[in-house]
Amino acid sequence: MGYLVIAIIVVILFSLGSALIGMVKGGKEGSDKMFKSLRLRISLSVFLFVLLMFSGYMGWIEPNTTMLPTQ
Amino acid sequence: MSEQEYYIPHGTYWPIIGSIGVTTLFVGFANQMHGVEWGGSVMGLGMAIVVFMLFGWLGTVVNESVNGMYNKQVGKSFRWGMSWFIFSEVMFFAAFFGALFYARILSVPWLGGADNNMFSGATEALETSKYIWEGFQATWPLINTPGAIGQSGVEFSSGFALVDTWGLPALNTGLLLTSGVTLTYAHHALRKGHRNSLVFWMIATIILGVAFLGFQIAEYGHAYHEGLKLTSGIYGSTFYLLTGFHGFHVTIGVIMLTVILYRIQKGHFDSDNHFAFEGVAWYWHFVDVVWLGLFIFVYWL
Repeated sequence: MGYLVIAIIVVILFSLGSALIGMVKGGKEGSDKMFKSLRLRISLSVFLFVLLMFSGYMGWIEPNTTMLPTQ
Repeated sequence: MSEQEYYIPHGTYWPIIGSIGVTTLFVGFANQMHGVEWGGSVMGLGMAIVVFMLFGWLGTVVNESVNGMYNKQVGKSFRWGMSWFIFSEVMFFAAFFGALFYARILSVPWLGGADNNMFSGATEALETSKYIWEGFQATWPLINTPGAIGQSGVEFSSGFALVDTWGLPALNTGLLLTSGVTLTYAHHALRKGHRNSLVFWMIATIILGVAFLGFQIAEYGHAYHEGLKLTSGIYGSTFYLLTGFHGFHVTIGVIMLTVILYRIQKGHFDSDNHFAFEGVAWYWHFVDVVWLGLFIFVYWL
């Protein structure tokens, strides 16, 4: 599960980077590339968030909610 | 102005005003740290000068741009300027995420005797952490730095239930991701030339950003009340530095989005020419991704 989460984060970072390249390029082409990359990155982010919350709900992953038991 | 020519700005007094502002700010800050009475007010004055400089200088640039004094070459230099700024931001957050990773995965386990290292008394696994802090157990989150406390025989880690991952942090992640969605809709509207919907989505994005900041302040109050402070070991330090600087970036992002909204109202952009919007949009998406990383690495993984 952890690896899947990391893999999605890596794709998110790539699309953010691709948006940056589009922005630097500019013009019609760059603007299109930027918008499409940002749209991909927000879609994946929302998906990852929902996946995390669902996995936590199902008990597939445990959040770092509780600290150590009090001494 | 021909396509090849580079626009050379006229002489300007803004840089020296900026220098005076920043100097005043830091002289005030340094004296404030030493408890000098006038430190705070001089710091405020310096801040005011810096804000004045930002309005004046950036306002001049906006006017020059709107009056068509810039050609493609100048536009390109703006894009490159933005990308170097972004590079420094990425490095900035990479350093703090790196610190979190190093403490959590490497240095704390080493102190607890993990791997074959000098702290642990070489290969004798049972005599972990014998040379530095005997009896130190590597745990995460580590909220008490081992040192004087440990050597006096007090437990290294005291624990408490921190913020519920399902509560404010999840809500805040939802808010910030929603603001990313609304900004994407704004971006789409701008590219299609739909002015009213652009303004609507921009306002929605700004409200969501402000709401995030409000809840983040509430979260800090809660965590601080529970005893998690900047001094609460390596966990407290990295937690507050990462989330604190992130919150600072959200604040800057909200200010920039508001300026962009103002410029939209003024009619500064069209569907093909809106680099300022693009720069701010990318910045907002970046800050959003940083939060997602924080949420995952601090609260989940």
